[in-house]
Amino acid sequence: MWRGGFAGGALLVSVLLGLGPAAAQEPIVFGVITPLSPPGETALGQLAKRGAEIGAEYINEKGGVLGRKVALSVQDSAGKNEQAVAAYRRLVSSEKAVAVFGFIHSGANIAVNEVAKEMGVPTMGTQTGASDVTAKHYDIAFRTHAVDPPRAATWLGWIKKNNFKRVSILAETTDYGIGLAKETEKQNKDKTLGLEIQTIMFDRTTTDLLPQLLQVKAFKPDAIVNVGVGQPLDLMITQAHTVGLLPGAAMVTSYDAPARPQFWQLHGDKGVGINFVAFYSPKSELSEVGKEFAKRYQAKFNEPPVYAALNGFANALVFAEAIEKAKSTEPKAIIKALEEGSFTGWSTTPVTFPRAEGALWHNWSPPLMVLHYAAKDQTPATATVAYVLGE
Amino acid sequence: MIFSTELLIQTLLSGLMVGVLYALMALGITFIYSIVKTINWAMGEFYMIGSYIQFVAVHFLLGPSWWWLAAILAAAGTFLLGLLLEPILLKPMYARPLQRRDDYATVVTIALLLLLRNLAVALGGPNQYRPESNLPVVWIGPLPQEGARVAACLFAVLALGVFWLVIKKTWVGLALRAAAQNRVAVQTAGVDVYRLDAVAFAIGVALAGFAGALLAPVFMVFPTNGAVTTVKGFEIIVIGGLGSIPGALVGGLLLGLIESLGAAFISSPYQNVYGFLLVILILIIKPNGLFGERGREA
Repeated sequence: MWRGGFAGGALLVSVLLGLGPAAAQEPIVFGVITPLSPPGETALGQLAKRGAEIGAEYINEKGGVLGRKVALSVQDSAGKNEQAVAAYRRLVSSEKAVAVFGFIHSGANIAVNEVAKEMGVPTMGTQTGASDVTAKHYDIAFRTHAVDPPRAATWLGWIKKNNFKRVSILAETTDYGIGLAKETEKQNKDKTLGLEIQTIMFDRTTTDLLPQLLQVKAFKPDAIVNVGVGQPLDLMITQAHTVGLLPGAAMVTSYDAPARPQFWQLHGDKGVGINFVAFYSPKSELSEVGKEFAKRYQAKFNEPPVYAALNGFANALVFAEAIEKAKSTEPKAIIKALEEGSFTGWSTTPVTFPRAEGALWHNWSPPLMVLHYAAKDQTPATATVAYVLGE
Repeated sequence: MIFSTELLIQTLLSGLMVGVLYALMALGITFIYSIVKTINWAMGEFYMIGSYIQFVAVHFLLGPSWWWLAAILAAAGTFLLGLLLEPILLKPMYARPLQRRDDYATVVTIALLLLLRNLAVALGGPNQYRPESNLPVVWIGPLPQEGARVAACLFAVLALGVFWLVIKKTWVGLALRAAAQNRVAVQTAGVDVYRLDAVAFAIGVALAGFAGALLAPVFMVFPTNGAVTTVKGFEIIVIGGLGSIPGALVGGLLLGLIESLGAAFISSPYQNVYGFLLVILILIIKPNGLFGERGREA
């Protein structure tokens, strides 16, 4: 009786001091920094957020992590570096987040990593492609997305397959655009592909790409690589049709924006013929958790999941698994577990983060392919697979 | 960079067309300033509201053939909103000491900007939309242009003409011009100057809403599509002169031209920088702008 009373008293004291079971029941916070308002790529931000939310829900249904629930704190970066950095500081300092993911814009991810390397909480690029996200070899920087070299290799492979000779690259002046434009030129030279490449950079806040597209038209390209993100990407498709570049030349977009549900509302018939780099096709095989996610996503949003959502989901699962493996929420222990472990993501390929060379440091890359819309209202599920990297 | 005479002509025409649209954006800002003596920082948000009205009207109600009616509805809608908001938000500033008015107007219109932008995200989501347009591509000399853009340009010129007629030939225009010159004198003549402020504010934001509606099929509809508009508008009024209507037109054309030519023949990434260089040049040579007048001081 006395022992029971003592234990009860100790429990009460520890609860009051916030040391005992109550502390153990506090959720583990995962930060999500993603663009939810313009000028960011809001559609991808929403998709990553949806995936992360289903991820947290799934983890909690399975009993949480280390016996604790997982809570998400979603922050809007608006695609701006300074806003993303402020969000990271807030997440780590005030909300005690132990992992941060959801990044879509490379610039924001790179800027956050500069702060994260001091504050210590690991970050994971959900859909950030620029080399510098991981190429600086920071301990805290992880990524589950295709980096510049394989991505450029994908459209160069597609260009060679179609026997195109003259190529225009229209790229925005961001880390993302500059990196991809340079990488494409480098591979053309290194692999002696013999392509004639015209590169035109543009400010991503521009509302008129006509002067640039007139230059492209004068160059008479066989193919155009559209390296815009969000509004400039769509503006380029519209204005390329106006000046008569499309549908004569082939256009490939540098990411899977045409997989967004509103693509056909924005472009109608002008969307026909578009090619886009994709990291997932509904024809691809999914892991068991990937299949479970696809089922839940379809039920919740009445549409099949796309890549950004799959990655948002998988990022949450990978961090949860790393914390379980580390048996700790200490950042250094999580980083060690991520580096040494093998994790289950949405694809059948295990997710690993080796200390590899260059941009492949701490990087897991999805399969890369080019999809082609041959008819209006197609979806990634019905699009033609025009090229698969490594085929 | 590739250069040819045809490319030069195409780029010049493209710049002129963008310039006319820029002029329409700047006109509202400069007009409101000339009467209410206030910079409306939320001008781009009325442009945004106009574009949303256009999208809703064309996509859900009227269909693409009635785009012109939708644009008129957008102008009317933003006019009414301006008429409603001005007495609530800006009229109280006249109860404050003169030196505080600019601060008051700046804070109030920036707060309005944030409110309207976040309201758009909450109501319409962050995604982009585009009202359907069935206007065919039009050839202007050697330059192919989207039908919607040509229509926007023509309507912009028409709107500028109607605006000029109202200001120069009607009693309301006369009263507005008088208020722009001397508010006290107009009050002494028995004119309700506060009501004129509301009308001027409503006309100014209606011009922005009209521009947003006309350009919705070209530049798309999303919560921050007015941000660039506001920046361009301010560049233009510095070039043309604050409060000058011809200045807005000439400033818009110059900005459109310099941006297009610079992007095509000098260096594309600096497209937005050329406009600022022109602004700096004008500030050095003619600090009041090309058509601006020195303020009268007591």
